[in-house]
Amino acid sequence: MPSGDRPDFLMAGALAALLFLGLMTVYSAVPEEGMFYHQLWMVAVGFVMMLAAYNFPLRLLEELYPFIYLPVMVLLILTILYGRGPAGRWLVIGPLHLQVSEFAKLAVILVSARWMPGMKTESSRWSTPLFLAGVFLLVMLTAVQPDLGTAVAMGMIILGMLYWAGFGFRWIFLFVSPFLAALSSIGFGWWLLFTVMLCAVLYRDRAPTWKWVFITTFNTTVAALTPVAWNLLRPYQRTRLTTFLNPAADPQGAGWNVIQSEVAVGAGRFYGQGFLQGTQKTLAYLPARHTDFIFSVYAEEFGFLGSMLLLGLFLLLIWRILLAARRSMNPFNSILVAGIAFYFIIHLFVNIGMAIGIMPVTGLPLPLMTYGGSHVITEMIMVGLAMNAARNWRSW
Amino acid sequence: MKPRSREGKPWPMTSVVVVLFILLGILTARLVYLQLIRGEYYSELAARNRIRSVAIPAPRGVVTDRFGLVLADNEPAFTVSLIHSEFDTVNRELLADLLSLPEGEMEERFAAAERSPYRAIVVKDDLELEAVIPVADNMYRLPGVILSVTPRRRYRMGETFCHLIGYVSLADSAARYQGELAGVTGLERILNDRLSGTPGYVREVVDAYGRVVDTFGDPSESVPVPGRDVALTVDAELQAYADSIISGTGNPGAAVVLDWSTGELLCLASEPGFDPNLFIEGLSSDDWNAILDNPQKPLLNRAWGTCHPPGSTFKIVTAAWILEEGLVPSPDYMPDPCYGSVSYGGNVFRCWGTHGRINILEALAVSCDSYFYRVVQNGNMDNLAKMARSMGMGARVTGLLPGEASGVVPDRDYMNSRYGPGGWGQGNLLNLSIGQGELLASPLQMAVVSGLVASMGDMPPLSLIVGEDPCGVKLAPPISPDNLAVIDQALRAAVTRRGGTLFSAMHDSPLPFRAKSGTAETYAGLDHAWVCGYLPRPAPLAYAVFVEYGGSGGVVAGPLARAIVEKAVERLYPDAVW
Repeated sequence: MPSGDRPDFLMAGALAALLFLGLMTVYSAVPEEGMFYHQLWMVAVGFVMMLAAYNFPLRLLEELYPFIYLPVMVLLILTILYGRGPAGRWLVIGPLHLQVSEFAKLAVILVSARWMPGMKTESSRWSTPLFLAGVFLLVMLTAVQPDLGTAVAMGMIILGMLYWAGFGFRWIFLFVSPFLAALSSIGFGWWLLFTVMLCAVLYRDRAPTWKWVFITTFNTTVAALTPVAWNLLRPYQRTRLTTFLNPAADPQGAGWNVIQSEVAVGAGRFYGQGFLQGTQKTLAYLPARHTDFIFSVYAEEFGFLGSMLLLGLFLLLIWRILLAARRSMNPFNSILVAGIAFYFIIHLFVNIGMAIGIMPVTGLPLPLMTYGGSHVITEMIMVGLAMNAARNWRSW
Repeated sequence: MKPRSREGKPWPMTSVVVVLFILLGILTARLVYLQLIRGEYYSELAARNRIRSVAIPAPRGVVTDRFGLVLADNEPAFTVSLIHSEFDTVNRELLADLLSLPEGEMEERFAAAERSPYRAIVVKDDLELEAVIPVADNMYRLPGVILSVTPRRRYRMGETFCHLIGYVSLADSAARYQGELAGVTGLERILNDRLSGTPGYVREVVDAYGRVVDTFGDPSESVPVPGRDVALTVDAELQAYADSIISGTGNPGAAVVLDWSTGELLCLASEPGFDPNLFIEGLSSDDWNAILDNPQKPLLNRAWGTCHPPGSTFKIVTAAWILEEGLVPSPDYMPDPCYGSVSYGGNVFRCWGTHGRINILEALAVSCDSYFYRVVQNGNMDNLAKMARSMGMGARVTGLLPGEASGVVPDRDYMNSRYGPGGWGQGNLLNLSIGQGELLASPLQMAVVSGLVASMGDMPPLSLIVGEDPCGVKLAPPISPDNLAVIDQALRAAVTRRGGTLFSAMHDSPLPFRAKSGTAETYAGLDHAWVCGYLPRPAPLAYAVFVEYGGSGGVVAGPLARAIVEKAVERLYPDAVW
């Protein structure tokens, strides 16, 4: 294994700049100063973890995935049982408040990256279903926390990685067919269209009979059970889904946050109100201003100019991560780093999209910015891994 | 199929980068829209995410009569108001619908709101709970609309006290809080500071959409202080009775009763009246036109707000002047007889009858004009005016009554300014002496004149509010007790002597009525009917009754005065015996 090139300074620079902006905004947004120092500590911890990830042999990581997968699953189960906090998503161990679903995202990416390259080549009969079951379990454990947003984000990341790994659109269609089946249950016509498409894909794939029977039966069952499941959804989850479809319908409820956030973002105008000068954060107008809606505080204080700077820095970071993924000779490295890139793309788009009213309110953090240790540490580990892969792109 | 790299294919970098740029492009486009295109709008919204002071209305003081009977109090009602600058005009029809406002009215309210875009303009007030529930349910859709609870004024004896108490309406002043009531007429206006109390305030933290996010400060610091209650010296039941008696004539009129031993006003009836509650509930144009077009002019307050020639009731003043001035050598002096008219300065001054040779006592009792024509010929108009003013005429007798008229007491300066020097003559004095000509007085003033005679010139100043300093001026007419005794005797004779002008109306009353009638000629040809007078102790009441175009004072006003005063004695001095 060649010890590799120089570190990717551009990626590191983008990371440092984003962390700096994030800390500034947290300082401006948090209700008490102590929380800022807490966040500073978390970044420090994240830096140590990042250095570890940067230097950890990726070959070893590839084989150690059960030691990541199993603890994360245990922690997820513990969170479901003993979770605390606003939505029961925190696992409190002594002084530590862990948001396990953040670490679970990394676990999902690692496990997917480990299995995807071999899924079609070394396909022993059980490896693919086992992989699917294992990943599906993590996603489901996250979803029932309940953290639907994170679960959906995980699914999107997996789809992206599948695409990166070379699985065609037909494969991906089959992969997401249960979700499409669920969506198609809103009307008979939609369901008919979906079923016809499903059959066409199976026909084109020259699928064996057992596959035909299994996939069509499964999807029909899902479509039939979805209306039942809808009634089992928590009211706030239903509200989130319907609010997503029509945010103006409920300006007092969930849509309220979005409207207030839009007001704050818009009030930033071109140059922004200036650092610490945001008006909307002070009088409790902005809900979750240091967590979900931290972009609103940033955009009000730094304006359009600052928003473009932020998007530019994210673009640079993601671009460097994607480059690392593309250059990597080793498929595990490449798919892992691509998953990390998809993590940043999806979180960036969903979180900012939420703050500016074009995406539903999901509670996904803005990477490296939102107040909270778990996700920042996870993301710094991810960047560490990406830099690791970038340096060792030649390794096979 | 194998992973791309193993097959020598590149990783699908391009399509991922395209997707990334599309997503970033979407974010950028939205940010351009929010921050650049709509930036100004959102900054304004953000600027209005502020603290606003919301008034908690103070209940207005309750007005009662002397016995504690409630005449004006409050009940809760709801007000819907609108801040135009915060309102989305798209919701205009929705709001009109929810309030079931007719199109025209909505238009008008919106026009008003548009003129003062930053103030809360009342769209509809005095709503019942049921009527505001639809609005309350839709408040979140209606930024800029404010729903508040405000005390609504209720007038319990509206028609009877419409002139005295008046009514309130929404204060139309930037200094007033939204929805505040202010007296428009009557005591509601005069005593507004006392009745309105001090509003409390809550500081609400409101966001751009009008939603209350939080309250600021200690709410107990700004609790509203209710207005002070006011108890009137008036007996509401007596006044209502007087109203009903006067309205029985079919003519407009007024009745004033006061207690000359204390100066308390007991009855200030004026007919016809109107229902002031109509003004509270929102007067329709039909209602308003009906009030305006009523030929009897119900808005006029005839007890103290309008003045008419007092006619022969003024002879009380003239007689006092004659006696004090020494225009007759003694009260028994009889000038030349009354032949039905007197010629003076080439004019004929007519008497209403032929009274023969009589003294001042009989002249007052039968109301002979000729006696006065003859006696005042050498008098000085200024001195008569002085006497009239000392008895409360020609000026306001209270500083309190709303819209109080002062009347007119002509003197030489007045005549000169009106007709020019030489444009008038001593003949005018003859006319004035019998209460005609330029002389004008209100029923209240004639009651005061009567009270002064009854109290031997020592009546306390008038008062209208229980437990407060009198609101009237202290009057001290320069009349000797002997002369007052003569007038007292004469006013009694008007009732008891056959031929006295009030004999038929009052002689069989158990009460020792003193009375002077008046039949005031008007340019309209119809006469105003007057009567004024008093009772001696132990029922020290003075009164004046006026019937507009009623005809003969003794015949028309006399029985009314008797009924009203008898009622007053029954209610206020039930144990009085003579």
